[in-house]
Amino acid sequence: MSEPKGMMTHPDAEVLAEFRAGLVAGRDGARISAHLADCVRCAGVCDQLAEVSALLAAVPPPALPDPVTQRLETALAAEAANRFSSERAVDPRSRERASTPGPRRRWDFRLVTLRVLAPAAAVVVLAAGGFGLSRIGSGPSSSVASGSAAVPAASAASASSAASAAAGSRTGNLPAVEAPARFGVVISGIDYLRATLARQLEGELGVYGRATGSARELASGPVKGCVLLVTRGIRPGTLVLVETARFQGQPANVIVAVSGHRDTAWVTTPACSASSHYVLDTTTLAGTSAA
Amino acid sequence: MSGTDGEWPSDAELLRRHVAGDGDAFGELFRRHRDRLWAVALRTVCDPEEAADALQDAMISAFRRAADFRGDSAVTTWLHRIVVNASLDRLRRRAVRPVTSAGDEQALEALLTHDPDPARATDTRLDVNAALRILPPPQRAALVVVDMLGFSVDDAAAILDCSPGTVKSRCARARARLLPYVAHLRGNRSDPERVSPAQGGDA
Repeated sequence: MSEPKGMMTHPDAEVLAEFRAGLVAGRDGARISAHLADCVRCAGVCDQLAEVSALLAAVPPPALPDPVTQRLETALAAEAANRFSSERAVDPRSRERASTPGPRRRWDFRLVTLRVLAPAAAVVVLAAGGFGLSRIGSGPSSSVASGSAAVPAASAASASSAASAAAGSRTGNLPAVEAPARFGVVISGIDYLRATLARQLEGELGVYGRATGSARELASGPVKGCVLLVTRGIRPGTLVLVETARFQGQPANVIVAVSGHRDTAWVTTPACSASSHYVLDTTTLAGTSAA
Repeated sequence: MSGTDGEWPSDAELLRRHVAGDGDAFGELFRRHRDRLWAVALRTVCDPEEAADALQDAMISAFRRAADFRGDSAVTTWLHRIVVNASLDRLRRRAVRPVTSAGDEQALEALLTHDPDPARATDTRLDVNAALRILPPPQRAALVVVDMLGFSVDDAAAILDCSPGTVKSRCARARARLLPYVAHLRGNRSDPERVSPAQGGDA
């Protein structure tokens, strides 16, 4: 190591890096220049600093992994569907559809909401009307659901109040259940698969009929927040189905809403709430207005 | 650094179509730049799962805020800026947890150990993220944008929302900090980086 003539101690690597970046001007810069001309060691450090940049530049950028690509494409498609449907909100066809109770409105007012003590969420169970019960699989609420199974669908109105009372007793000293939600979350054990999602959902909706409702009609809770977030932009009154089910073997929320002349379905993670949603899949269904 | 020279429609045109209601334009824009945007997210966040979340946050945000794009920078600059912000947001949220985890220290350990076993040496060599992880996030983001992605200092300043001088200073300090790992980074040179198909998989 030769001693620098300028009586300068070796600048540290950070100073040399700043010098190389043109950040050390004036006399300080001149002193470093002079020092580098004589100091093999510091010149070597400068070479290595250049090499750091060169080596980083040579690292090829990683390709976006396929699962992430798929997830992002799905999320963007959901965004596009939301935007499309909010633009359709002025479409007279959808207005008519949302305000006219059609023959398919089979779930409205026949829903009885129970607040079930599920681990992390207030869950609304479709309880009256046999059509819903066959969908209820094993889940935290299955005992409650089967308890309501004996209620004849014909006396839906009275069943409603009875079940509400039952719900009150079950929830004990929890805060009072809010006004019964008109649009219920279906709990099912169905395992939807990516490859057959649209077909499975069309089958489900075909068998059990459709109701349209607004996300605001859901009971408060994470599921409502999730639905509001995912369907943001969709006019009130166009929700078709909210279901907690499974997707590719994992717990998931399934949301179907009118989107233009068709229906859009979203599958989200169960952690979906008002603050974050991660859409696992989305698909378009032949909507009722297309039928 | 648009990376889209000669491509038509241009990025700006795609963005304009998106704002005008074209349902496919934004997806096309995303597909065009996704690998570089992913590189920024992954290198800045240093974790594939978090990077995937950050990139999704960023793309949703860009989708919704497209009308705010002023055209005073390239579309790619604007997109990178949104991704960098989303990535740093993720890191800030994660910073509630201890900054240096056991995993980071092990990664450092591995970097500094010259392992004679070629198989293990390969594993070490492949993980450039381990080297970047030792940098404070603002320095890391600057280095990724300038040295790894090749943006000019001025474009980097627009992406990072700071002055060109700050970009230079962050990069300089970051390079100095990485000096001890030059040998490790050298091992990276000729190897296409292996990307596990499971990275950032279904949540």
